[in-house]
Amino acid sequence: MAIKLPLAPTALKQLGVNLLGISWNDGHDSVYHVRNIRLNCRCANCVDEWTREKILKDDQVPKDIRPQKMDTVGRYALQIDWSDGHNTGIFTFEQLRSQCECESCQQKKN
Amino acid sequence: MFFKSKDSNKVSEGAVLKVLSEVHDPDLHRDIVALGFVKNLKIDSGRVSFDVELTTPACPVKDQLKAQCIEKVKGLEGVTDVEVRMTANVRSTGTQGNRITIPGVRNVIAVASGKGGVGKSTVTLNLAVALAETGARVGLLDADIYGPSIPLMIGAKEKPVTNAGRIEPVVKNGIKVMSMGFLVPENQPVVWRGPMIHGALTQFLTQVNWGELDYLLIDMPPGTGDAQLSISQSAPVSGALIVTTPQEVSLIDARKGLRMFQNVKVPILGVVENMSGFMCGHCNQITSIFRSGGGEKMAHEMGVSLLGGIPLDPRVAEGGDKGTPIVLGYPDSEVAKIYKKLAGDVAAQLSVLQAQSIGQFKPLSLEWQ
Repeated sequence: MAIKLPLAPTALKQLGVNLLGISWNDGHDSVYHVRNIRLNCRCANCVDEWTREKILKDDQVPKDIRPQKMDTVGRYALQIDWSDGHNTGIFTFEQLRSQCECESCQQKKN
Repeated sequence: MFFKSKDSNKVSEGAVLKVLSEVHDPDLHRDIVALGFVKNLKIDSGRVSFDVELTTPACPVKDQLKAQCIEKVKGLEGVTDVEVRMTANVRSTGTQGNRITIPGVRNVIAVASGKGGVGKSTVTLNLAVALAETGARVGLLDADIYGPSIPLMIGAKEKPVTNAGRIEPVVKNGIKVMSMGFLVPENQPVVWRGPMIHGALTQFLTQVNWGELDYLLIDMPPGTGDAQLSISQSAPVSGALIVTTPQEVSLIDARKGLRMFQNVKVPILGVVENMSGFMCGHCNQITSIFRSGGGEKMAHEMGVSLLGGIPLDPRVAEGGDKGTPIVLGYPDSEVAKIYKKLAGDVAAQLSVLQAQSIGQFKPLSLEWQ
């Protein structure tokens, strides 16, 4: 039986001052406004560990927030160092893919 | 003319490659010429010799492929003699992690179960020995820090020596082994919190002189906690093998173990059902002590391969306690044969992953400008 290949990025690209591009192993190309990724952080500082309620206040995140550096974690996620010093978030590939802001993904959501 | 001149009888390289391109690798679904397996082709008038370099010495269809090659080339006009050497060059599925890279290791296999007591260590060790018997270079890392059982199972008590700051693994039964059991006395418990486990596992992966290995098997502890997270976040795992016993009580945890690897995007090589039935030594009747069909059910539900069922045999436990894995102690037993087949199947699954270029996960990094 063939082995199901898990979702994985094949490239990370900076597309503009605040635009991140991720190419996936299924051929899809995603695009993100970097601040939206930061606003959806699910780390224990941004989301309550038990209730899952969002603790992070959107207006506390600088409008001009930028990533400084990002690395894959294992085979499943991306860890990002942000310009506001935040670095505890682990953004899973699945979560990132579901938040894709490309036109066709946005249309599907609406 | 009844006799052809010697020259017109000359066998051409092109003709040999053409017939060899009719030989297909059943796992990789391509012909052996396109896969680049045919090497060192030499034609000396009617004598043809070449190497077939497979992606694993544990290839389950090695003999069939060899027979097919001989048959195809012999069918060519002018060929009097065919010599085929089967060799192997295990390709890497990418063992580069962004935190831990083990340079000489080509494939890392995590053997896990979720539940304890299903025979993970027994399966890992016998699989390691069966892979090594095919000629592959194999290492075994016992990641069960609290309850290491591998040292007893291989009958090794010696402390690993340190050489220029690197730990030399213990070599036993043709495999390189590292275990917490080598470092602490048998009757002394390791009472540690999670971060210490992470530290020990990281050391075992990076500070042990593994050298060149085709396969490094990691015998995972039960559960889905610190050790599992450390290995899947930092170690470059090529694929995971899930061990279960047939009954629901085991499956319920095995499913969680499998899902954990799916969540962290480690490819699942397949499910192995251990303790699947007991054959009576007197009447050969099979008794399903732990029920039957559980492994198959789970593999089907989760869309992964069932790589085999290993029956209960008292000689397995005997071998474990005496330090001689059954694959070596009773090489002709049914269980040993099943392990040898399992070794071939696991190696084939890894070759398939490697052939799908996206199977090789590459860590990525980006600096924002």
